[in-house]
Amino acid sequence: MNRAILASVIGPTGPEHRKLANRVMEEALTRASLSFDDITYVVATGYGRINVPFADKQITEISCHARGVSYLLPEVRTVIDIGGQDCKGIKLSNGRVVDFVMNDRCAAGTGRFLEVTAEGLGVKLDDMGRLSLEAKNKVEIGSTCTVFAAQEVVSKLSEGVPLPDIIAGLHEAIATRIYGMVRRLKIEREVALTGGGAKNIGLVRALEAKLGYPVLVPPEPLLTGAIGAALLGKDMVKKAAESGEPLPRSERRLTEASIFT
Amino acid sequence: MTGKAAGRGLAAADRYYQDYGSRARELKGQGKRIMGYLCAFVPLEMLTAAGFIPFRIRGDVNEPITKADAEMETIICPLVRSCFDMWLKGRYEFLDGIVIPHACDSICRTYEIWQYTLNLPYSHFINMPHGTDDSSLNFYKAELNAFRRSLGGFAGREISDQSLKEAIQLYNQNRARVRELYQLRKSDPPQVSGVEVAKVLVAAVSLPVDEATRLIGDVIDEVKPRQAVPAQKSARLMVVGAQMDNVAFIDLVEKSGAWVVADDLCPGARESLSYVDTTADPIDGIAERYLRKIYCGRTFRERKGSYQDYMEERFGHIADMIKDFKVDGVVLYIYKYCDPFGFEVPEMKSYIESKGTPVLYVEDEYSMSTIGRLRTRIQAFLELLGSK
Amino acid sequence: MTEEKKPEERKKRRTATEAAAKIGAMSKAMTLGVLQAKEEGKPIAYSFICCCYDEIIRAMDIVPHWVENYAGICGAKRDAQRFLERAGAESFSRSLCTYALCGLGFDAWREELGAMPPESPWGGQVKPNMMLGSGQLLCDPRNKWFQAAQHYMPDVPVYEIGLPWPPYEYDYDYRQVQDYYVKYIVEQLKGLVKFLEKQTGKKMDWERLSELVDLTDRTWNLIWETYELRRAVPSPMGTGDAMNTMVPIVFMMATQQAYDFFRELNEELKRKIANKEGEIPDEKYRLIWGGGLPSWFALTDFNYFNSKGAVFPVETTYRMVEAIYNFDIDLTKVSDPLEHIAWRWLKYWTYWYDKARKRPGSHPDVERLIQYIEDYKIDGIVMHEAFSCRTWHVGLIWQLNLLKKVYKDMPSLILESDIVDISSYNEADTRARIDAFIDTLEAVKSKKR
Repeated sequence: MNRAILASVIGPTGPEHRKLANRVMEEALTRASLSFDDITYVVATGYGRINVPFADKQITEISCHARGVSYLLPEVRTVIDIGGQDCKGIKLSNGRVVDFVMNDRCAAGTGRFLEVTAEGLGVKLDDMGRLSLEAKNKVEIGSTCTVFAAQEVVSKLSEGVPLPDIIAGLHEAIATRIYGMVRRLKIEREVALTGGGAKNIGLVRALEAKLGYPVLVPPEPLLTGAIGAALLGKDMVKKAAESGEPLPRSERRLTEASIFT
Repeated sequence: MTGKAAGRGLAAADRYYQDYGSRARELKGQGKRIMGYLCAFVPLEMLTAAGFIPFRIRGDVNEPITKADAEMETIICPLVRSCFDMWLKGRYEFLDGIVIPHACDSICRTYEIWQYTLNLPYSHFINMPHGTDDSSLNFYKAELNAFRRSLGGFAGREISDQSLKEAIQLYNQNRARVRELYQLRKSDPPQVSGVEVAKVLVAAVSLPVDEATRLIGDVIDEVKPRQAVPAQKSARLMVVGAQMDNVAFIDLVEKSGAWVVADDLCPGARESLSYVDTTADPIDGIAERYLRKIYCGRTFRERKGSYQDYMEERFGHIADMIKDFKVDGVVLYIYKYCDPFGFEVPEMKSYIESKGTPVLYVEDEYSMSTIGRLRTRIQAFLELLGSK
Repeated sequence: MTEEKKPEERKKRRTATEAAAKIGAMSKAMTLGVLQAKEEGKPIAYSFICCCYDEIIRAMDIVPHWVENYAGICGAKRDAQRFLERAGAESFSRSLCTYALCGLGFDAWREELGAMPPESPWGGQVKPNMMLGSGQLLCDPRNKWFQAAQHYMPDVPVYEIGLPWPPYEYDYDYRQVQDYYVKYIVEQLKGLVKFLEKQTGKKMDWERLSELVDLTDRTWNLIWETYELRRAVPSPMGTGDAMNTMVPIVFMMATQQAYDFFRELNEELKRKIANKEGEIPDEKYRLIWGGGLPSWFALTDFNYFNSKGAVFPVETTYRMVEAIYNFDIDLTKVSDPLEHIAWRWLKYWTYWYDKARKRPGSHPDVERLIQYIEDYKIDGIVMHEAFSCRTWHVGLIWQLNLLKKVYKDMPSLILESDIVDISSYNEADTRARIDAFIDTLEAVKSKKR
């Protein structure tokens, strides 16, 4: 068994988790030139993990990101995962999770904060990171509440404050929130960033400024969770094979659609 | 379970848990007087000795808090707010009075709101001190005697030493039963689940003490002979927190694949495992138990030796329970706006981890709306424990 | 916030009196004085406001560091966030008292660095020789904060004293229990004295203590008389100033400096009244600050009220004195200093109980509001609900409801924010609420005409 990733697909999520889960699975199978029956074991992770009917096991993102990062970047001790709706801090020791913190209640400190404020400023979300690096005088955003912050930046813009300065301030604000949360774990190097937030160069720099040292970002930060899930699944298959105990599988197959090799 | 046992033990506990207050309403109809109270620090022996049926006021984690907000600020313990909300919604219309101890700010700072809004025939605030030194104990005894006079006035007769001694016996018997029940949690797997224990203890505080004791005894008889080994679970957890008056969280943990085998909660081990000593003046024994024997963050213990000694003094009982009940991981389950426990989180976490036991700290609101978020954390914690 | 400027550019808050304007410098000198005292090797004690041990520590030359004051300073300088964040990083809940979070965050940081955090406001908060908790009915942080701080300073002893007062109950008068309350307080104070003697290696000078107790009595009377001058129409001084003048009341009690300060303020107010000089030239609405600690970073809101013609002749917050000669016992006859302190404490906290009994369904807190409303000719009530403080900010809604029930329906406003955590504050929103309230006051006034 080789250790390479045969195929990966990143698709948008939305209200119909099951359909979307099916879709990415089909697409991945196509790219890998495999059929669903070729798959040994399926592990689902993330918020929608309970809505993947063909998954054999559901494992939290915390364990999956930890596993994924320790595979991709073995020297990492602290993982910061910044998603669209939540952010997490994970502490590793010998590749295992020993502690974690999560914020999934408040938008500030997650991708949502940037989405809302970007919209208010009329800027494309993908441009936010790049623009923040052009700041000459980073502005201080007082509000930690996303809604108030959005109001605050709009009024700053109308006062004539340069856009990059404001955006840099927004990145600083999220970084402060995230850093404040992850510090509860007593951060140890190396530190890795995963999730959509890791693709935002402005946020990466802002966090590095807080930490005082560079952070590592895996080549495709949106996939670390899925990679970890696959590896954990592989661990489970191996363990079952060694112990001789059968590994229960989901009764559901991949329905709805054209599965083809 | 045979037909004879049906309707007793766990089935009865479930009934009293779901229809909380049904027995009290029944007794009220028979002419008994029901005294409501908050928190584990009200000396129930005194209420019982005075001829009242003590009734623990409970919130409802399934019911959004609405009416309470018109009278009570939202910046306090959500459990206290829910209790108040339940009252305003008519759940406790059978109560004759209310006794509130100086437990924490959320409870003592809202005393006037309870007193004035509920407008009951009787209300009393027991001003329990924070310190455990001798002068504090003496002050507390004087407070208890003032309460005794006040309560006696409302009861229509003095509360005699004899009636207090009898009540103390009843409550000690009750505590002995709870101890027995807890013994059944030590085995692997435990004879009784965390949900079952929580349900029984919550049901019990809505009943007169002798009926509560009988209920717990029935449950013990029911679960002791259990042979069937239930599904193997991945870990044995202990839940530490202030008050937990419903099974939602423990149910979540046990459905996620762990046992809850131990706790430091009210109702629970904190509230029920220490006795009142027999003393010539019964007030002495009562004061000693409530002020010194209950280990809760609201009580300030003097530091006598090194800082390490101090940690052992304050949290050693948790370490003991971890050992006795073979606990794999501890969940610190603390409500937002909780001062007595909130200030202790870093120390507790540090202490328990120093003993080699992982800790999950969860800050929660009193509502079922957070269940999804809690599920992820519990699952991640169990995965963490599983990979050890 | 629409007024986002660098701190030095921010407009200085206007005070109505010269005395209040001096407080900034006094407060800074007091805070820097602690740093100085530390260097001189004097014993420093973390202390709480309204602690009952002012005279005791001053009699023993122990220098208090007022932890709540320091947090207030960080808040006022809008430099509390990094300390609150540090406390959060230690796993303290952000819903706890933000004075405590600020102090704990600072202490954790200082101990980790082995030095003051960079650019600490006014030189920072020193590591003390001891920490003196006190409270009981006042609040939980007063016995949990220092206990938690020991985690970062395990070699600093904590001493906790209980200072109860009898609750207001229907079925008995507090005088039935006052004796054992006073006995307890005295014993707790005795225990404190023993502890302090052990820590300092010095014995209590009881004569000096008696002198300071007497000075405190006289200061209380003077403060009360001075504040009563604000009944004048127009009122010469408002709550904005009182949030300054509280410094000598609660942080300099039992010092000649505090007494002299109020002597000066008293004279200044008399002068202003003689010249019919009010807090503002055109006084339209007289308001009571009926409850809640202020947002230390937003004291300019009082100037905003002023700009709308509103003044605050009276407040309950930090008015921690009554005239001793108005008590129902002759305190001058209590010569033992600890007993004197204990009786003064008890009589202060039960002061309004008798009044409450005279009005069916009333409560001492509401009686106090009613008295002030009548004496100071008040048109409306403003209260502040600070999310992190359960002590002073729970029961505000209930007080307003009860006031309406037993007295009359008055225009009222509850502002929501925090004492120190600025992220809870929205200036635009606050000012909008104030504007709406002013409209209500105007409407009521025009109806009266």
